[in-house]
Amino acid sequence: MAEDESSLAEFEQVDFLKDRHVRFFQRCLQVLPERYSSLETSRLTIVFFALSGLDVLNALDVVDKPSLIEWIYSLQVLPTEDQSNLGRCGFRGSSHLGVPYNPSKGPGFPHPYDSGHVAMTYTGLACLIILGDDLGRVNKEACLAGLKALQLEDGSFYAVPEGSENDMRFVYCAACICYMLSDWSGMDIQRAVQYIRNSMSYDNGIGQGAGLESHGGSTFCAIATLCLMGKLQETLSERELNRIRRWCILRQQSGFHGRPNKPVDTCYSFWVGATLQLLDVFQYSNFEKNRNYILSTQDRLVGGFAKWPDSHPDALHAYFGICGLSLIGEPGLRRVHPALNVSERAFEHLQQLHRTWREACT
Amino acid sequence: MIIIDVYQTPHTRKTLNCKPLKSHHFRDRKEWADIEPVPQDDGPSPVVKIAYSEKFTDVYNYFRAVLKNDEKSERAFSLTAEAIELNAANYTVWHYRRVLLQALHKDLREEMKYITAIIEDQPKNYQVWHHRRMVVEWLNDPSEELDFIADILSQDAKNYHAWQHRQWVIQAYNLWDGELEYVEQLLEEDVRNNSAWNQRHFVISHTTGYSEPAVLDREVQYTIEQVRKAPHNESAWNYLKGILQDRGISAYTGLLEQVQELQKANSSPYLMAFLVDIYEDMLESGGTSQEDTLNKVIELCELLAREKDTIRREYWRYVACSLQNKFGTSRGATRRFQQIQSC
Repeated sequence: MAEDESSLAEFEQVDFLKDRHVRFFQRCLQVLPERYSSLETSRLTIVFFALSGLDVLNALDVVDKPSLIEWIYSLQVLPTEDQSNLGRCGFRGSSHLGVPYNPSKGPGFPHPYDSGHVAMTYTGLACLIILGDDLGRVNKEACLAGLKALQLEDGSFYAVPEGSENDMRFVYCAACICYMLSDWSGMDIQRAVQYIRNSMSYDNGIGQGAGLESHGGSTFCAIATLCLMGKLQETLSERELNRIRRWCILRQQSGFHGRPNKPVDTCYSFWVGATLQLLDVFQYSNFEKNRNYILSTQDRLVGGFAKWPDSHPDALHAYFGICGLSLIGEPGLRRVHPALNVSERAFEHLQQLHRTWREACT
Repeated sequence: MIIIDVYQTPHTRKTLNCKPLKSHHFRDRKEWADIEPVPQDDGPSPVVKIAYSEKFTDVYNYFRAVLKNDEKSERAFSLTAEAIELNAANYTVWHYRRVLLQALHKDLREEMKYITAIIEDQPKNYQVWHHRRMVVEWLNDPSEELDFIADILSQDAKNYHAWQHRQWVIQAYNLWDGELEYVEQLLEEDVRNNSAWNQRHFVISHTTGYSEPAVLDREVQYTIEQVRKAPHNESAWNYLKGILQDRGISAYTGLLEQVQELQKANSSPYLMAFLVDIYEDMLESGGTSQEDTLNKVIELCELLAREKDTIRREYWRYVACSLQNKFGTSRGATRRFQQIQSC
């Protein structure tokens, strides 16, 4: 549809402050004040938001890639000499346990409570890929053994082998891990698919688990998981897909919200936007209203984005705000792979890596 | 919603106003002199480093030490409370606290009080809700849960953690009695509470089910009454569609007429979308006057696109195109040409 001049002018008034966001992510990678202490065990996810954010902003050149790669590898929980901890392997979120620094050179340090966390293994691998690493120091068998230990009978996953809550977030993390390692032996796919089907709500959205309220975040996790598995069409009929499309497209109010009758929030421009993209109907959403909302949550002073206008920005909303803009084709941003949640550039590096692995096997 | 714990409103801890005269750091306490504190080690180039105070560092250096030694003692148990106060999102501290609760045979009812206080202060913390579930399971006593969760919901009626815990306890301990009444009370307070509508479906589908005509009719009439009162309410329309769609929404006698009647008094884009769905179901079911129905639904999509739900303009036109492609005949298409040129 042709745009008339007045709506084009509206577009241009809300400007995207790219340099501010680059500096915002750079600052995230440095030092955070103590009031952010609740993020200690998930610091690696903050690194992911910053690195992937810089990647989408085409600004990865500002980071010291080699030392970041070393730090990330120091978070890998490796098998101990006697291999008794295989079911606990993966990546940690940070050094919070006080295990001695070891950038994955030599065996793991025995510790009664050291284990990986599924979201940190996912973001750790993603960060390495984004930084151009070849995953050469990743102990794939150990990561997959650690992953297997986390899956429950109902198909969902714990975050850690000691036990935790289980829901769709960790199903998605598990799928990303298998996808990046190009090895689905780390999970029972059929059970995971069953868990997804069981989480479909009467209102055609998808909840965190059976019976739970449908939600934009869990809907993304479910659909993206099926796409990564290559099982979207096999699992959901065209009628079911149309119903999910309808649920998702109704989330747009200006920006997007995550549940009916809740306020909009910048991050859902990605969670719901990417889901709509995976379902081939994102083009039918209203780009202008979406963009205007995301930019209304931009912090013009310190950079980054917040969930709402006039609120404090954080790394998560900065990242997903930028990804939300990337989905609508904002100039100057790299495209984002809507299922794997990394830039297309990073995705292509991963594909090349997979080709190398296949060739090595022949 | 919350990704792990990075939904990042930094937690403001409520601390005491008095300042101690001398340091109460663990490193200065005689009774801890046998322990060598364990620092964090981020190597030469730390990333996203958090600048902890001396006090914070001290508490966690000692926590890391007892953890590594797997020490099972009262002092270790007290230490977990201090560590939790500083960072209630550290799942390893919570896990270790559970190990100690069992090893030291601690009073679990006291623990429930502790947990209650923390959830009241931090109702969106994943770890404390999981901890509560574990302790309820150990006690095998859910008797406080429904009242407790109701209190949390009275402060935030859509707290996803609260609803998740509520569904778990009801299902694990068969506490279905009275829940439908609770849901209705919440819907009276806010008919747009989507979590409450979801809970309504949860309760009924796990008790009577929707197959019984008496139940289905009651639910349909209840929902229609709610949309009459508040027409612009997606949750109610989603519920109505949800309980009928597997049987075919056009199969429910008199529904189309009831909705068309509603449309005269108080329309809404949700009502119109519901009509689209009825018509689509009629087309799916085959039968007479397909062309007439197709004309109606395409007109409705165009009205939604042009006037009533313009933010979804492109989507409603896509729906019209899809219906045309699926159910249209070449003769009919010529007459609808103006409306769906872009297909």
